[in-house]
Amino acid sequence: MIVGIGASAGGLEAFKAFFAHMPVDSGQLAFVLVQHLAPDHTSLLAELVGRNTSMPVIEAAHGMRVEPRHIYVIPPNATLTVENSVLQVSKPAPPREHRWPINTFFTSLAEDQGDCAVCVVLAGTGSDGAQGLRAVKDHGGLALAQSGFDHEAMTGMPANAVATGLVDAVLPVSDMPARLLAYQKQMHAAQRKQGSDGVRGDLAAHLKTICGLLHAEVGHDFSQYKEKTLMRRIQRRMLVVQAETVTDYIEYLDQHPNEHELLFREFLIGVTEFFRDPVAFEALRTIAVPALLADRAGDDVLRVWVPGCATGEEAYSIAILLREAMGSQHGLKVKIFATDIDDQAIGRARAGRYRAPLNGISPERLERWFSKDRDDYCVVKQIREMCIFSPHSVLKDPPFSRMDLVSCRNLLIYLGNDLQQRLVQSFHYALRPGGFLLLGTSERLARNARLFTERDKKQRLYMRRDDADTRPRDLPNMRRHPVEHATQTARQQGENLIDRRARQALEPWSPAYVVINASHDVLRFSGDTGRYLAPSAGAASLNLFHLLDKPLRGAVHAATLQAFADGTRVIREELALLLNGHERSLRLIVEPLAEGDGKIEMCVVAFDELEPAPHSTGPATDGESGGEPGRVRTLEDELRETRAQLHTAVDLHEMASEDLKSANEEYQSVNEELQSANEELETSTEEMQSINEELQTVNVELNSKNEALNRLNSDIRNLLDSTHIATLFLDKDLTIRSYTPAMTELFHLRDGDKGRPITEISPRINYPELKSDVARVLLDMAVTERTLRGDGDAPTFLLRMRPYLTVDNLVDGVVLTFVDITESQRLNNEHARLAAIVNSSRDAIFGFSMDERISSWNASAERIFGLSADQVVGQPLSILLPSESSEETRKFFASHERPKRLAEFEMTWTRPDGESVPLAISYSPVCSQDGTLFAGKLVARDITERVRAARYTEMMLAELNHRVKNTLATVQAIAQQTIANAPNLPAFAESFLSRLLALSHTHNLLAQDAWIGASLAGIVKNELAPYRQDSDSRMNDARMRLQGDEITLPSKQALAISMALHELATNAGKYGSLSVPEGRVAVTWTTHMKDQRLWLLLQWTETGGPTVAPPTRRGFGSRLIGEGVPYELDGEVTLAFSPDGVTCVIDVPLDEVVS
Amino acid sequence: MTTDCVQPCILLAEDEMMLAMMLEDRLLASGYNVIKAARLSRCLELAESASIDLAILDINLAGDQSFPVAMVLRRRGIPFVFSSGYGDQDLPEAWRNEKVLQKPYDSRQLTEALATLRIA
Repeated sequence: MIVGIGASAGGLEAFKAFFAHMPVDSGQLAFVLVQHLAPDHTSLLAELVGRNTSMPVIEAAHGMRVEPRHIYVIPPNATLTVENSVLQVSKPAPPREHRWPINTFFTSLAEDQGDCAVCVVLAGTGSDGAQGLRAVKDHGGLALAQSGFDHEAMTGMPANAVATGLVDAVLPVSDMPARLLAYQKQMHAAQRKQGSDGVRGDLAAHLKTICGLLHAEVGHDFSQYKEKTLMRRIQRRMLVVQAETVTDYIEYLDQHPNEHELLFREFLIGVTEFFRDPVAFEALRTIAVPALLADRAGDDVLRVWVPGCATGEEAYSIAILLREAMGSQHGLKVKIFATDIDDQAIGRARAGRYRAPLNGISPERLERWFSKDRDDYCVVKQIREMCIFSPHSVLKDPPFSRMDLVSCRNLLIYLGNDLQQRLVQSFHYALRPGGFLLLGTSERLARNARLFTERDKKQRLYMRRDDADTRPRDLPNMRRHPVEHATQTARQQGENLIDRRARQALEPWSPAYVVINASHDVLRFSGDTGRYLAPSAGAASLNLFHLLDKPLRGAVHAATLQAFADGTRVIREELALLLNGHERSLRLIVEPLAEGDGKIEMCVVAFDELEPAPHSTGPATDGESGGEPGRVRTLEDELRETRAQLHTAVDLHEMASEDLKSANEEYQSVNEELQSANEELETSTEEMQSINEELQTVNVELNSKNEALNRLNSDIRNLLDSTHIATLFLDKDLTIRSYTPAMTELFHLRDGDKGRPITEISPRINYPELKSDVARVLLDMAVTERTLRGDGDAPTFLLRMRPYLTVDNLVDGVVLTFVDITESQRLNNEHARLAAIVNSSRDAIFGFSMDERISSWNASAERIFGLSADQVVGQPLSILLPSESSEETRKFFASHERPKRLAEFEMTWTRPDGESVPLAISYSPVCSQDGTLFAGKLVARDITERVRAARYTEMMLAELNHRVKNTLATVQAIAQQTIANAPNLPAFAESFLSRLLALSHTHNLLAQDAWIGASLAGIVKNELAPYRQDSDSRMNDARMRLQGDEITLPSKQALAISMALHELATNAGKYGSLSVPEGRVAVTWTTHMKDQRLWLLLQWTETGGPTVAPPTRRGFGSRLIGEGVPYELDGEVTLAFSPDGVTCVIDVPLDEVVS
Repeated sequence: MTTDCVQPCILLAEDEMMLAMMLEDRLLASGYNVIKAARLSRCLELAESASIDLAILDINLAGDQSFPVAMVLRRRGIPFVFSSGYGDQDLPEAWRNEKVLQKPYDSRQLTEALATLRIA
């Protein structure tokens, strides 16, 4: 017994566990390990497995015989098969997409070992192994699959194997060896009981019982199936359920109702695949299909029947073949009725979903007729719709009719001869004239050869003959006399020449006889039966009682009835018979011919004619009859009379009987017709049911679509009702199709206005362009927008018009939406206004969002910070934190500790170009209506000017303070000096006040020019003003002449020179030229450069005054002029008291040397 | 450092002529020899070379600050007093401990200041 073990990823652990639990003495078991191996990888599998078992582990080589208690491992990059228990290795392995090493090996194992094959599917991904397992089961082998901890099949290969429904046991890998050994033991036990044909002898006796049980439970009668096949399969189930004897199994069947189903499935195991036996399909394509497609009208229906379709591969293959032959343009409809008794298989066939790989299908066909869905291939809709699947028993149920093609391959092989014959007749009936029948390569028509013409002998393609008639009476459901007329031919064939000759020789000596069947039809004539027959008028018939001479009919009838009824021989002696006017004595022998089972189907009716009786001269020899001859004659006459009457009566009876019989015949034929009609109806019913089923599916689908549509519809209605967006649906002619309630604000719409043109509805808005806009949208297919401004306070709408597209993308009108944008426009305007303010502000205004990123940046911000908007928008706020900053600033920018309200602080920002700007920052949080903070706004004001002004003010104050103090110190000094020189208080007062006044005048001049300087001419005029004769100060006075450039003296020079001029003028007024009317004073001044500095040269010249005497003591005035001015102004002063008048030359620098 | 003169010599650095004249009168009256200077350059010359015992330095001399003069004086160990019309504003760090006469000041204040200098 060879155990094939397939595994893939994760298989090594499983292998190890398997052999760890397998005893060394594994009996007759040999193991072949098939694993998915990388082609270019040297496998260590043999070595690794070898560590877990003491059995020899060998890498398989070509031609190696499989020995028990050995383990063989598939080599890399090879295909491994087994033939006659010898391993076959072919290299290299096929390309990856066609590499199914486990399937390949299991299939060859099944074909080679039959029911001794065992396949085990261990861990692995994918579905390899499932197909091979099917083959193993088909040949009666055992199949195991690995389970996980949860006793469910492991995902991947084991699960796919289990999905075939054929796995005998799902076990943890450690339990498998024990199970295999038990199986092996049982197999041995079973084999000992088996005969030479591999079937255990005790099964045959119980076969009927098991079939009976199955018939009762499942409803299918297998009694006519091939016994051998049935017995093998029952044997298989016995091994699986570990039943020792057949009685045990029957008991098991009783106790496990589920087992009936399993046994039923076991009986039904069939191997099928797409395009099985490609040559047969080629024959179908080249011979049958062209004939079927010829002379077909477009609306014809091509009908195909595939009985025993199992999971539908055959039906789909034929569908594909036909579809390809017809081409896509052919309008011909094809209906393929695919039937099977296995409703599970039908369910799978209906799904049209097949697990990869699909054998037998070319890649082109796979591409064209299948769609890939994960691991599965699904038959495309076009093919799927050609096939109608329904559960149907080809044996039990009436056949279909008017078929163009019946393909029934590899079904007959499971059936006994009688059933085969009946089926072939069924097919003949089902086909229309000229229809084709395709059988499996190992099946034949046998005795029904006359019903069909061979079209391809090897591929078993037949065409229906129209001359033969398969009467509906022979159809399967009329099974009372299933094969009656067939026996005749069988018998004929059994005859041989010797028999015939012997019979000829004996003919004269043996009685003439006929053989009749239970319906009294003559099957054989033998000998000179003509003497006893007298065919009656009317339809030709073989019925004995139509043929037999009338006088004999009564006696023969009675005898045959008795013989059929009792089954015993009936002999009637000395039947009187009038032959050719002679009265003959006849011995009638009716001998029943018993069948093997004791049933009587036929009788031999022999007519043994006795020698003519010696003509008795009875009355003459009989002395005492002399007196009685008259009476005898009378009696004889009477007797003759009576006989004649009897004859007449019998004749009448016969006639009546015949009438009845013919009526019966008629009824029978009517019955047959009705039966046939009934069967056709049943067939139609089947079809109707199939169609009905499809319709129901479609109905359910439509219902669910309808529901979805209803839901959508209600959603849309709710949407339209609840939306505040006015929406109007118009068709191409401007007719209102639908609108939302908000639309009534724009048009005077009422409920009944749907279907009216919009142009008839008076609008509440000013929109005369409606018609032209619709036309444009329909023409351009583009969305149009338009702002509809209301008059005065009326709202403004944004109209958006787009084409109305149907589901098929066809334009069928327009959709108008009117959005009230009054508020939005108001907000827009407001926003624009604010934006203008922000943009025109001289302050930097910028905002930041809650994620601390700068969100806006106005033009002034760019100017003040020296950063463009591109550089800062989106950046963190902290980039604005100056490198040197106060704690408050740092808190604000870096640690986000911000006041909740308005806040102000100052900082100094250094621009990228290095220039520093003092900034006053004010911060205002931006809150939504409910008070949630969502942004921040900052205003930064450049306060450079303010800072400068403050500094200036501060400086000015200090300067003022200084000046006041200096001035006071000067006043103090003047007072002191005046006191020192004054002879008395009134003199002091006069001098002191006039000096103060002069000082104040100069201050006035300085103040006029913000203390920057004072006009020299002004100072001179001021000092001389008290001595002027006319009041107009603009003109030179007669007494004094002023001449010089317009010079502005700095404050220091102005003060010093004005004090000097005051002293000069006072002196001139008191003692000099201004003390007399004729006196003159000239003041001239000019500037000149000396030592690269600008100098002022001022000359005071008095003339015409009293004669001047030099002063006796140095007074305040001369000290101030001669000493003070040069001291203070760093210049030179010459004061001369010449007798003509006082002169004074003041030469001083006008600006200071900067040190 | 005293000279052979009986009368001590005082350097008066003051750019206001009226003030200078008044101070000169007072100082002369108080028995001092007075050397006046209104400009920084002249002051520096005198501070370096003249034989002086004391000094009164107006901080602002026609726009220049008189601290360089003070530096020379300090080097020569000649005591001096600042005078200023600028109020109580801080002097630079180096001169913080020096005596300042706030303008205007009277003869008593002047005498006290000079007396303090002479004792030092």
